[in-house]
Amino acid sequence: MREHLLKIGVSGIRGVVGDFLTPALAAAFAQAFGTYVGRGRVVVGRDTRPSGEMLEHAVCCGLLAAGCEVVRVGVQPTPTIQVYVAHTGARGGIAITASHNPPEYNALKLFNSSGLFFNQYERGELVDLYHESDFRHAANEEIGGLSDDAGSAGAIHTGRVLAQVDADRIRACRFRVALDAVNGAGSLLSCRFLRHDLGCELEAIAVDPSLPFPRPAEPRAEVLGELSALVLARGAAIGFAQDPDGDRLAVAEETGRVLDNDDMLALVVDAALTRRRGDVVVNLTTSSVIDDVARSHGCRVWRTPVGEANVVERMQAIDAVIGGEGSGGGVILPAVHLCRDSYTAMALLLDRMAATGLSIGTLAARLPRYHRRSRQLAFEHGRLGPLMQALEERFAGVAADRSDGLKLAWPDRWIHVRASNTEPLVRLTVEARAEDEAEGLLAQVEALL
Amino acid sequence: MAAPRSLRISHVGLRGVVGSGLTASHVLDFAAAFGTFLESGGPVVIGRDPRSSGVMIREGVAAALLACGQDVVDLGVVSTPVVQHAIRRLGGAGGVSIGASHNAAEWNALRFFGPEGTYLSTAQAGELLDIYHLGKFRFAPHDGLGKLRAEPDALDRYLEELEAAYDFDALRSFRVVVDCSNGTSSLILRRLNQRRGFGFILINEPVASVRFAHEPTTSAATVALQLAPLVRPLGADAGFLFDADSDRVALATECGEPVSEEMILPLLADYLLPRGSGKLVITNLSTTALVEEVAARHGGRVVRVPVGRQAAIDALSCYRPEQVALAGEGTGAVMMPRFRFVYDGIASMLAILSMRKERGRPLSEILAGYPRYSILKAQVAVHTSGIPALLMELQRDYGDGDINTLDGLRVDWPDRWFHVRVSQTEPVVRVIVEQRGEPPAALFEALLERVRRIA
Repeated sequence: MREHLLKIGVSGIRGVVGDFLTPALAAAFAQAFGTYVGRGRVVVGRDTRPSGEMLEHAVCCGLLAAGCEVVRVGVQPTPTIQVYVAHTGARGGIAITASHNPPEYNALKLFNSSGLFFNQYERGELVDLYHESDFRHAANEEIGGLSDDAGSAGAIHTGRVLAQVDADRIRACRFRVALDAVNGAGSLLSCRFLRHDLGCELEAIAVDPSLPFPRPAEPRAEVLGELSALVLARGAAIGFAQDPDGDRLAVAEETGRVLDNDDMLALVVDAALTRRRGDVVVNLTTSSVIDDVARSHGCRVWRTPVGEANVVERMQAIDAVIGGEGSGGGVILPAVHLCRDSYTAMALLLDRMAATGLSIGTLAARLPRYHRRSRQLAFEHGRLGPLMQALEERFAGVAADRSDGLKLAWPDRWIHVRASNTEPLVRLTVEARAEDEAEGLLAQVEALL
Repeated sequence: MAAPRSLRISHVGLRGVVGSGLTASHVLDFAAAFGTFLESGGPVVIGRDPRSSGVMIREGVAAALLACGQDVVDLGVVSTPVVQHAIRRLGGAGGVSIGASHNAAEWNALRFFGPEGTYLSTAQAGELLDIYHLGKFRFAPHDGLGKLRAEPDALDRYLEELEAAYDFDALRSFRVVVDCSNGTSSLILRRLNQRRGFGFILINEPVASVRFAHEPTTSAATVALQLAPLVRPLGADAGFLFDADSDRVALATECGEPVSEEMILPLLADYLLPRGSGKLVITNLSTTALVEEVAARHGGRVVRVPVGRQAAIDALSCYRPEQVALAGEGTGAVMMPRFRFVYDGIASMLAILSMRKERGRPLSEILAGYPRYSILKAQVAVHTSGIPALLMELQRDYGDGDINTLDGLRVDWPDRWFHVRVSQTEPVVRVIVEQRGEPPAALFEALLERVRRIA
């Protein structure tokens, strides 16, 4: 199979730095972006990947060439950058981060003047503009300045988060909290947030932004052994693990066990709906536990194709109060900002613990129990279509959603197959109420491969 | 007639009108070619002149060099000679100077230097161009990228070198007015005032990013605009004018007379030839014949090369450094061995002031000591297709003189010469005629008439 280590499309530009994602490509994409948003202020920030500094210069070059005025906020979590864009009335923003991808990857996340992802139609226009290479080329007198504001972005962001919880009540609990920030963009802000803003006794590892990622970037249960051990060793009430750009969160309960991300999202949805009722948006692959939690509040759940931009677009269209993506560990609370935000998730979970007086493990144990199984298959052209067709024939009559691959849903179980947006993989997920049902469902699908 | 070009990519680097000619994409690709070309070793030193577009270009150059695994030292807004000085001091692998020197504000350019801050030879520059055109760059893996650091004190270290070369105590007493052309020379001169007790009176001294008070060219005409009228009222001993990145200098006497830009090289030749071992003066075919007369007084010899810095660099490489007294051109750009053959307007100014001190006579008197030469210059936009036939006709019709076809056509008679050549930067033919004594108006007009036939 051919290896595609660069991807340019409606999700922006992403690739392996070196021979694939080059400074010229990044600058050209930034210049297309600057042409698209128009002259004015554009915010640039990045995560802690070693390629971040190089790409930051390339992005600034492209933006300045398009006649934009660039404000660099330096190393900041992606949600912090997004909030800053909205707060300062900039024309747009670019976060240089490959989020949960391995360190050799990097990418540009592009934001509009509200600090939000562009909708799918705007993203299409931007990619066309990039391919046409019809950029604005500013003359000397049209070139805007380059300035730095590294100091204020973090406090603007966390201030908005704190307004959504009872911070005094959390502080009064003096929770002992473990943190693994993967030496990422959240390293410094997370320590300040948990220790000073929320009054926690902090036990932190991997909070040096100058060091490489000490574990795989995506905070999956199997790579969070050190955090689990830290929770147990220090008797922490909860453990938090971030990804390199601080938008995703994984949670360890007081036993050191890492919560299923869907359960984490369910607890956050429960916390948010307790504060304020309203619609919920999650992607097609997120657990049905969300439906149960929403139902208990009398609220409706909407489902979208996988991808933060898709979830955000729907949340904005229907004015949802909470949303997210289960598997990704992404929580979106529009009252803070319409973006995936680990800080909002941390605050809501601590708030829920403080409000109920229950441990995170107890809260999780009260959730309805679902069993999920996932497989990923190397993507080969022509593989997904026949699989979807075989599934529809095998399970004729079952409710089918074809908006992102194929999802077949029974009242108590479902199957979802889809192509990954970011990697050459087919993802297969099944869910059922009982473990053996889930295994059985998976076996039935695998038999069709 | 061809339209004036707004981008030129050549052996001397990259130069163009930002936006309409020179774009971010050119900058990134050319800097990536340079990062690929350089042997790894020390850092790459970069600096820029104050144009707004310099920040955009700096970001692109930094990104491409870092991507090639080169560490970068950014000096900020500094003169080109300061960049070259820092490359040598820091043991750099090379350097990039971002700035369009004597061009108008809407232009910018990138100039590339090797280790020791030297200009690239024609062979090296050719290799760099080949890498650029091939478009295959050697990028480092994500964990092998370079690091960038700023170095704010490069200027002070450069001043230390100037201080080692010149007697500051002797020069401090002069009253000198300087037109900085809103360029980087003001940063150097201000610091000489603050830290070394000089009393330079500066005009057009704010470092400007968009609008210059005048085009930063070092011609007598530019000197006449604002600088020359101030010299006498201020009671100054001299007036100097620099281009935007202060590699060139122009002069006015204590009487407020603008001095022809052609005079800088003969003046410095007269000063330097008796002082060192070098007896060669390297200059181009368009520069005044006074250089030969001055060199002869000191037993020196002039080597004439085609116009353009590259030809001078290649000629320099043919000789041992101690054989050469100086190299330069009639634009006020002069390289001296003491400064490792780097065009340096500030060093040139200090040398002229040192000469003034040593002779103990005003500049106007020193200049009056040279025989009068009259030079006439013009340029004509032409159809380039007619150039070879024009040159052949001229060579036939003026065949009674000494013919030199190294760069267009130069014809010499005992007290008179002309040079008809094609510009490297624009589709124009330049006509230069010089005569010892009165202006050679008739010859000048005859030549212009011939050239205009292919306009």
